[in-house]
Amino acid sequence: MGQAPSSTAESNGREIDLRLWSPVIVSGGESMALGNVVAVRDRDFTGDLPDECLAHVFQFLGAGDRKRCSLVCKRWLYVDGQNRHRLSLDAKDEIFPFLTSMFNRFDSVTKLALRCDRKSVSLSDEALAMISVRCLNLTRVKLRGCREITDLGMEEFARNCKNLKKLSVGSCNFGAKGVNAMLEHCKLLEELSVKRLRGIHEAAELIHLPAGSSSSLRSICLKELVNGQVFEPLVATTRTLKTLKIIRCLGDWDRVLQMIGDGKSSLSEIHLERLQVSDIGLSAISKCSNVETLHIVKTPECSNYGLINVAERCKLLRKLHIDGWRTNRIGDEGLISVAKHCLNLQELVLIGVNATHMSLAAIASNCEKLERLALCGSGTIGDTEIACIARKCGALRKFCIKGCPVSDRGIEALAVGCPNLVKLKVKKCKVVTGEIGDWLREQRRTLVVSMDSDETEAVVVVDGEVETVVEEPRVVQAGGIVAEIGSGNSGGNNGGSRLATIRSKLGFLAGRNLVTCTFRRWSHNDNASSSAEL
Amino acid sequence: MSSSKKSSDGKSSEIEEAVASLTMPFNKILLTSSDGESFEIDEAVARKFQIIAHMIEDDCAGKAIPIDNVTGDILSKIIEYAKKHVVEPDEDEDEEAKKKLDSWDAKFVEKLDLETIFKIILAANYLNFEGLLGFASQTVADYIKDKTPEEVREIFNIENDFTPEEEEAIRKENAWTFNG
Repeated sequence: MGQAPSSTAESNGREIDLRLWSPVIVSGGESMALGNVVAVRDRDFTGDLPDECLAHVFQFLGAGDRKRCSLVCKRWLYVDGQNRHRLSLDAKDEIFPFLTSMFNRFDSVTKLALRCDRKSVSLSDEALAMISVRCLNLTRVKLRGCREITDLGMEEFARNCKNLKKLSVGSCNFGAKGVNAMLEHCKLLEELSVKRLRGIHEAAELIHLPAGSSSSLRSICLKELVNGQVFEPLVATTRTLKTLKIIRCLGDWDRVLQMIGDGKSSLSEIHLERLQVSDIGLSAISKCSNVETLHIVKTPECSNYGLINVAERCKLLRKLHIDGWRTNRIGDEGLISVAKHCLNLQELVLIGVNATHMSLAAIASNCEKLERLALCGSGTIGDTEIACIARKCGALRKFCIKGCPVSDRGIEALAVGCPNLVKLKVKKCKVVTGEIGDWLREQRRTLVVSMDSDETEAVVVVDGEVETVVEEPRVVQAGGIVAEIGSGNSGGNNGGSRLATIRSKLGFLAGRNLVTCTFRRWSHNDNASSSAEL
Repeated sequence: MSSSKKSSDGKSSEIEEAVASLTMPFNKILLTSSDGESFEIDEAVARKFQIIAHMIEDDCAGKAIPIDNVTGDILSKIIEYAKKHVVEPDEDEDEEAKKKLDSWDAKFVEKLDLETIFKIILAANYLNFEGLLGFASQTVADYIKDKTPEEVREIFNIENDFTPEEEEAIRKENAWTFNG
């Protein structure tokens, strides 16, 4: 059978082989009339399916089901193993003796996750090397809690996995040398995500692309790095960068952004959160004419001034998220400028920003493409604001209001306004009643209304797609739900460190505003950006 | 003229085509199953089968196309599905239409036994009808979901060809893989 070629576009890991295959389909025969249930049991009909069709069926099954399929018979073991492209392993030290036979069985893996929980000793450099030798076609790798892996281990790994396109490491102990080794050997690397890499010390070597190389690197995500400054050269000089996310990292990001702004930047998405970044950084961003998505989250040194600069110059801005952290540095003044200049705006999220009808009316009138709007945690957003949005926001399709002093009167206005509204979510607005939701559903049959009083999963406005967020009560329960948050990254059962982190975050948040949970999903990446406070 | 001799095969298919294009309305295509059943369908429906769409693009589709690998009973089911799915409603734009179609799909497959579904998978694979292939595969997957290996063997009548030791070894390996 051999390996499935992984060169062409992967869509969610489903590589559908649509080659023509012409079996001779047994016509009739053996009195197997249609609908004759008894006859079905006579023989194994899956034998009629060629391996690729059986494999295609398996693609509709989760890993748990596929495990059970592998125990059905030898053929199913073989087909499952040959067609498993995605594998997530419990990366404890004790896995070592099983690796050889496992990777004989799973010989087509292109996406590999190795997760070790906090309490266990992780697999070693030797194990990682053994895996990398057997999986030469890896394109995506995720390491979590692999604390025993050293810089040398990463280098060995990098030397073998030359086709790597996406690397995501979290809570590991190797350092800058290991990262540089990856950049050196994995020349096809497109996405790099580094979170809590504890081996990066203050005096570490700087991280940069190898000299004279043309890079494919287009996305960098850095999170919770104490010595984030070590990454400054990489961020500043990667010309091919399209997506940049920096969350809670030390570093002189104003300066880095200035360097980026002064070059010909192709950056289209920028996410800055809990950083030392000010209006200087925003002004630098305003020089990046290709910016389409900008998230400024909890950066109190950014003010209206910086936002105005961005609004005036980033003509392609489509998605804007601002979490003002209720520091009042960004408000109507900056938003009015957005209204004036950002005519391509499609999505706007304001959290803890004291906007009033003055700027919101302007945005609603001028930003004629605005389809998705979320207003949260602001004391100035009330019925007047909702009413003027209803009146003026013609293109709005999805609207979310959370934790604002809005009452039933404001919601009433949505019965007639926003003609294209498809989904409305109203949460944690204390004086809004369930009845108004019911009334609104009556008035507008095609509008999906989701409110606090609803038991079911809430539907949230997200970048172009509808996402579901699990409500609080379910969140605190064990097991499966955690898969909802963080886009299915939480490997099942035994409390991986990430799982434990999520659980403690959620425990902490239980009873708090759901805003932060929900808006975790607003970010684009697998590493759910923590808008949540720890 | 009289000197040119065509093979009888070539001549008869030419005649078939000529007859077909004279007697059939524009934009209709005739599919003939392996057991001789004929189905006249709109070109738009026929195009759901990539294999035919390509033939139409490459201009080598006559009006009558033999489908040698699929019997009439299966082909009729496939065409029934294709007709319903000529236009796929957008989930966002038209939720109601999508729900209706999903409900039709569910009824469609409810009446079919496993053997037929397998035949449909094979045929849809051959015809390169992605939508139905996916749907039928999902249907089979639903039979498998959440079942133990023994239950799966029972449903599909599969023999267990593992020794107990082999089974144990696989279980041990599986224990190291996550479900996520």
